[in-house]
Amino acid sequence: MNTGSIYGTYEQLLPGVLEHFLGELEKLNEQTKQLTGEGIYEHLHTRVKSDSSMREKCDRRGLPQTARSALRDIMDAIGVRVITRFIDDIMEIVEYIRGIQGVEVVTEKDYIRNAKPNGYRSYHMILSVEVPWRDIDGEEPGRCFIEVQLRTLAMDSWASLEHQLKYKKDIRNQKLIVSELKRCADELAGCDLSMQTIRNLIRSE
Amino acid sequence: MRILLAEDEEQLSRAVAAVLSHGGYQVDIASNGEIAVDYASRNAYDCMVFDIMMPVMDGIEAMEKIRESGDSTPVILLTAKAEVEDRIAGLDAGADDYLTKPFSMGELSARIRSVIRRRDGLSPKHLTMGNISLNTELQELKAVNSIRLGKKESELMEYFLLNREKDLVPEEIFRHIWADDSSIDHDVVWVYVSYLRNKLVAVSADVVIDGKKEGPFRLSKR
Repeated sequence: MNTGSIYGTYEQLLPGVLEHFLGELEKLNEQTKQLTGEGIYEHLHTRVKSDSSMREKCDRRGLPQTARSALRDIMDAIGVRVITRFIDDIMEIVEYIRGIQGVEVVTEKDYIRNAKPNGYRSYHMILSVEVPWRDIDGEEPGRCFIEVQLRTLAMDSWASLEHQLKYKKDIRNQKLIVSELKRCADELAGCDLSMQTIRNLIRSE
Repeated sequence: MRILLAEDEEQLSRAVAAVLSHGGYQVDIASNGEIAVDYASRNAYDCMVFDIMMPVMDGIEAMEKIRESGDSTPVILLTAKAEVEDRIAGLDAGADDYLTKPFSMGELSARIRSVIRRRDGLSPKHLTMGNISLNTELQELKAVNSIRLGKKESELMEYFLLNREKDLVPEEIFRHIWADDSSIDHDVVWVYVSYLRNKLVAVSADVVIDGKKEGPFRLSKR
């Protein structure tokens, strides 16, 4: 029934957008390495949402399975996750992203200063980046969305644990597990801040 | 340990102060209730000993003012033997204990030890100020977000909350929180103040700990 990708002809172009954006982040990482001997991030995860997940998401949102839905109504066709060692590195990267040529910030959510009730912490951004081809609105140069999530190693391992809970049905002691996860998130946040403070103390010596 | 003594009879106050100092306490003397209120608003005490009958402001009124400011430091009242009504009024107004004049110094010292001991075991589990609350049992600091504190961090935060809006010198803080461990460097106070500062910001607290590395430190509303 659905022949070909939901992204249509754009399928071939999206990896290039991702690559270009990663190049920008790697530039910052190199700069920081020169300065402090340590990269600004620990590692990156990237993905272009698969055809089947995107179609599924369209259905969930009540949208037609079209390239327009996938590239305009839904903004996370391209996703980048930046994992850092320290909390302050997150805001430094956010500032850097805001200043990249051709990048506009569409929305930002600071779940670090305002953690979700379950304890989830992360910094989310939706970016609109300039691309060197005609986009779905007929503009050239065109624009494309990228979703960026930034978090520390501790926040990332917590999120992966919480993710397991979400997809597991009928866990005994569900309530206890949820509240223990919340306690764990707060302890990790305390630890992240202690490590940040120690790094500041060492660097200010 | 630091004690505030409010007593207008100079000879008596000097004698009491001498004995308590000899016992290892640091003693501040106020000659009336008004001066005592002023001292209590600026310094952190472990116990306060107030004479009831004093000029300008009596001991009960001074204690009431100190309690109104949120200060729950134990208070021992000194009363004349005939003043039963005063003793009742004093206890009802928030005194922890009383002693009738004339009293033995040994008994005063024992009562001071007793109220300090009791207070250490009975500190409130929930302390609040501005938009923050500290649960000392869970070691949880909460404002917009919540976060877990280490044991010493929680004890330090509690000490700041019990002595809010007061200048606390690092040596005094060290004596209270790390007194049992002589192997620890006194710089630990600065490190832990730094931890708490970052953690207060992280939970979006509207209170801050002011002060440079050499102190004094002060917990205030932003």
